[in-house]
Amino acid sequence: MVVLALVTLGPLLYLFVTSLTPLDLTRPRSFRFVGLDNYRDLLADGRFWNSVQVQARLSAATVTAQLGLGLGLALLLNRPLPLRELIRTAFIVPLVLPPIIVAIVWKILFTPLLTPLNLLTMPLGLAQPPWLTDPDLALWTIVVADIWEWTPFTTLILLAALQMLPAEPLEAARVDGASAWQLFLRIVLPLLRPALVVAGLFRLIDSFKAFPLVFVMTGGGPGVATEPTNYYAYTQAFGHTVIGYSSAMIVFMLAVVTALSVVALRLPGLQPDVE
Amino acid sequence: MLALLLAVLSPVLWLLGMSLKTEVDALAMPPRVLFSPTLANYTGLLETRFLRPLANSVIVASITTLLSLGLGVPAAYALSRGRLRRGGGIGFWILFTRMAPPIAFAIPFFLAYRTLGWLDTLGGLIVVYLTFNLSLVIWLMRAFFDAIPPSLEEAAYIDGASVGRALLAVVLPVAAPGVAATAILCFLNAWNDFFFALVLTRSSAMTAPVAIVNFMHYAGWDWGRITAGSIIVALPVLVFAWPVRRYLVSGLAAGAVKG
Repeated sequence: MVVLALVTLGPLLYLFVTSLTPLDLTRPRSFRFVGLDNYRDLLADGRFWNSVQVQARLSAATVTAQLGLGLGLALLLNRPLPLRELIRTAFIVPLVLPPIIVAIVWKILFTPLLTPLNLLTMPLGLAQPPWLTDPDLALWTIVVADIWEWTPFTTLILLAALQMLPAEPLEAARVDGASAWQLFLRIVLPLLRPALVVAGLFRLIDSFKAFPLVFVMTGGGPGVATEPTNYYAYTQAFGHTVIGYSSAMIVFMLAVVTALSVVALRLPGLQPDVE
Repeated sequence: MLALLLAVLSPVLWLLGMSLKTEVDALAMPPRVLFSPTLANYTGLLETRFLRPLANSVIVASITTLLSLGLGVPAAYALSRGRLRRGGGIGFWILFTRMAPPIAFAIPFFLAYRTLGWLDTLGGLIVVYLTFNLSLVIWLMRAFFDAIPPSLEEAAYIDGASVGRALLAVVLPVAAPGVAATAILCFLNAWNDFFFALVLTRSSAMTAPVAIVNFMHYAGWDWGRITAGSIIVALPVLVFAWPVRRYLVSGLAAGAVKG
């Protein structure tokens, strides 16, 4: 317990302290108290607000798609299948791959000179768009990669929830002659709601960490078109040694994560409630 | 279903294919689906300094796993059996460290290591990985211990065993599958890390994921080596994922979801 506090609580307190200083590793004696200056600068920093906006778009698109696709896949995998265990596990390969490998895979797939997409477009006489360097397309390449990587996560949670569904309401509705679509909409979906909320919340919080994808695929570019707050903080701290300012950005992110964690902790978990 | 599976896994299969292609085949346009495979990229990797980062990855992930278990298992046991059983504060803290972006830890550790001279050392990396693996061990093992009835070790106490002895001789053998699953998840967490290794190492303690990315930046776009290195790093993960498939959700969600 002491070690856990030492390696987690200590660093976070230190992070908060540096966020109150203009610490810059290239300037001596910059570790001095300046109060909330960094936070005031943050509010006036257009690049910071851009990064928040990029993050918001990234999170909204990926979490929505992962819940939808994850639900579809969970329903498919919940049916009787030959070699079910093997197939289910094969579907979660993207989730267990090292994130950096996922990033490399999608970097290849979106590099016009390497991508197998040419197999589809060349016969049509079409050229590949510059996926990773077009300001309108680059963020969507990361969205696609993130959806591929993390949909198995929502699938697993929803599959677990599906397997715990009580049989009686479904049986009763079937006896009453409900169609498959009605069963899904009126009974399965409401029962799955808690699991959907849990899966969505976890994905939302984790979507703030899409670092390897951004680092390898676009480097935040073109310009700052794909630069989420996490990545902006990284470039400031480790590209430009502006540690103090970067720390303030991360404290801001931590505040958001804390709020979401409090919500997560109050959730009833996977126990579906029948109304 | 199989067609869908093939479509989902096709990006990885393309990576595997590329790692077995000559440069001419890899850059051919239109892309070649059929080609005569070669292991040249893999043997080429041996000529570069890829073995060192690969060994670093193995060492760091193994020692972190052992340390996390050594420190985390007794703590989890105390939480499961002791008066802290309903310690909501600790539960929240563990969830929070799991959710905090890694950069929140990277900056303070970077500053501390700079002063201590621990940057670019395997030891430094091992300590950093405790930030997430220790939480994971405590969280998962507490759940495994909770599932074991206390009457089991009470018999040992009557025979005069100490708490430590009861844990080692009676409880741990029962919890062995849980310990094994937790150990694998710890190992994979450390093995898969890119961010901390990127920030806290330069050359001598560099791990395999960072070395692969360096093929991308410094050696031009050496796709043969990048893809072969990627497959080598991905393989152990795919092998180990099978025995722990049931625990992946609870591992990733740090126990907030009962998988």
